[in-house]
Amino acid sequence: MAGNFWQSSHHQQWMLDKQDLIRDRQHDLSKLTEEEYQKIFNFFASIIQVLGEQLKLRQQVIATATVYFKRFYARNSLKCIDPLLLAPTCVFLASKVEEFGVISNSRLITTCQTVIKNKFSYAYGQQEFPYRTNHILECEFYLLENLDCCLIVFQPYRPLLLFVQDIGQDDQLSTYAWRVVNDSLRTDVSLLYPPYQIAIGALHIACVMLGKENLKPWFAELNVDMDKIQEIVRAIINLYEMWKNYDEKKEIQGLLAKMPKPCPAPQR
Amino acid sequence: MERPIIRYEKIDFLGEGQFATVYKAKDIKTDKIVAVKKIKIGSRFEAQDGINRTALREIKLLQELQHINLIGLLDVFGQKSNVSLVFDFMDTDLEIIVKDNNIVLTPGNVKAYMIMTLKGLEYLHQNWILHRDLKPNNLLINREGILKIGDFGLAKAFGSPTRINTHQVVTRWYRSPELLFGARQYGTGVDMWAIGCILAELLLRVPFLPGESDLDQLSRIFQVFGTPTEEVWPGMKSLTDYVKFKHFPAQSLRHIFSAASDDLIDLLETLLALYPPRRCDCTQALLMPYFSNKPPPTVGPKLPMPSNIPKLESEKPSLKRKLLDNLDGGSLAKKLQF
Repeated sequence: MAGNFWQSSHHQQWMLDKQDLIRDRQHDLSKLTEEEYQKIFNFFASIIQVLGEQLKLRQQVIATATVYFKRFYARNSLKCIDPLLLAPTCVFLASKVEEFGVISNSRLITTCQTVIKNKFSYAYGQQEFPYRTNHILECEFYLLENLDCCLIVFQPYRPLLLFVQDIGQDDQLSTYAWRVVNDSLRTDVSLLYPPYQIAIGALHIACVMLGKENLKPWFAELNVDMDKIQEIVRAIINLYEMWKNYDEKKEIQGLLAKMPKPCPAPQR
Repeated sequence: MERPIIRYEKIDFLGEGQFATVYKAKDIKTDKIVAVKKIKIGSRFEAQDGINRTALREIKLLQELQHINLIGLLDVFGQKSNVSLVFDFMDTDLEIIVKDNNIVLTPGNVKAYMIMTLKGLEYLHQNWILHRDLKPNNLLINREGILKIGDFGLAKAFGSPTRINTHQVVTRWYRSPELLFGARQYGTGVDMWAIGCILAELLLRVPFLPGESDLDQLSRIFQVFGTPTEEVWPGMKSLTDYVKFKHFPAQSLRHIFSAASDDLIDLLETLLALYPPRRCDCTQALLMPYFSNKPPPTVGPKLPMPSNIPKLESEKPSLKRKLLDNLDGGSLAKKLQF
């Protein structure tokens, strides 16, 4: 939706503070290091991305689903709901909110089963996707509640395209920056910074990688808080640094085993 | 979304629609009277889709919108696979008022309703949202005389040049000619047309164009405004469901609304222009002479209410109000009011 970002629930209720975020993650961070925590989120962001692609969703819908996922765990421990259940639920809710036609629940479950089996067997081995329709439906309520019914998420894609237009159309630059925005979904920046700043951060990284020195004056003329942009850039670069020495296929099983889990026998 | 049973105490059944049942309830936490809209689960097949789409649309949009003339979403809670939305409680709606033969609608009343509707809709359109289901029944009014636009189950973002929309929106009598011709790309004009029909209904006290089928609807429209030609409405013939109509001459609106003032006729004509781009938007409408000319719009507490709803004034007669009343209707000379 193209409403007014400054008056949106995204800006007024969901621009979180870094310190608060660290405090709310205390429980999980007593069991996992910050890097391990990030790796787990990186993994589930991949699941959401692959699920979305299999379901032929637009990137906008995938991004919204990922932000829902992050918002939920910004307030809750990983043990509250198994992320493997929450991830498809986020996709389900986002596809409805973004008015992307109907994804039937059964198609969602089938896709989950195939994706887990074919693409993520390195994490789950022979284990099958354990959830059914009724789980997703119940989980959807918890998700909606924990999002405080704030469903409209502003994404950096639209501002990014506007900036590129302003610079002078450059397909290489926009493709590259677009990918950086996709990657940014694996960091906390979507919880901490407004989307237009993330778009500028992504453009900045793209310019450096592509060696576009000539765009320095364009950045210099921007009326934005460059410290914030630098923070965003640093967060994304940290992700790239982490990726360099990380083999998800080898490590993820150990990480998932270490992850705080729901109590096996909920008291009723 | 916590413990609904405790928080909202059902008082009364208010009504039932296609997707929901509405109850009057008391919010135990705040002692406020609210309306609880319980979304129907529907068939087992629909239940598979999880939280109802119509409800989600209302939740996502109303969460972002705050305006005195739009219904406020106070809370959302769920039980099992059932979702309920909690809204401001509204005593009545414009349909009830229009149909109530004991109520006299003065020109000032009509103006007040139009101003409140247009202001709410202006805000909505500024946020790039079309309501797509405006009708008297969805213009809710409380005993303070404040009108709020309700029912956002069909509302949707607009403005994307490539987006294809369904034309099966808006209750038929308030549906614009481009929708009836099957237009898939439309804008604020569909809401403006509906406002025009509502204004006409306020004057006539019966629906202005009560078509019995989609074709009959178009035929009724053309019988009043004349069958449009390609000059009046460029591009009309390329619309998906275009059909040729027999030639009707345009009637004079002055004839149909014989008691209406000239400035009001001007407003009606711009709201009900056949060619969508010629229709005014809310901001333009509010700037038309009708709204600054006499008589002034009736103030909220003085707007009529159905007899079964106690008026606010009689509940709390305050000294200030008494003084104001005297000023208004008494023998004192009228002061200039700005």
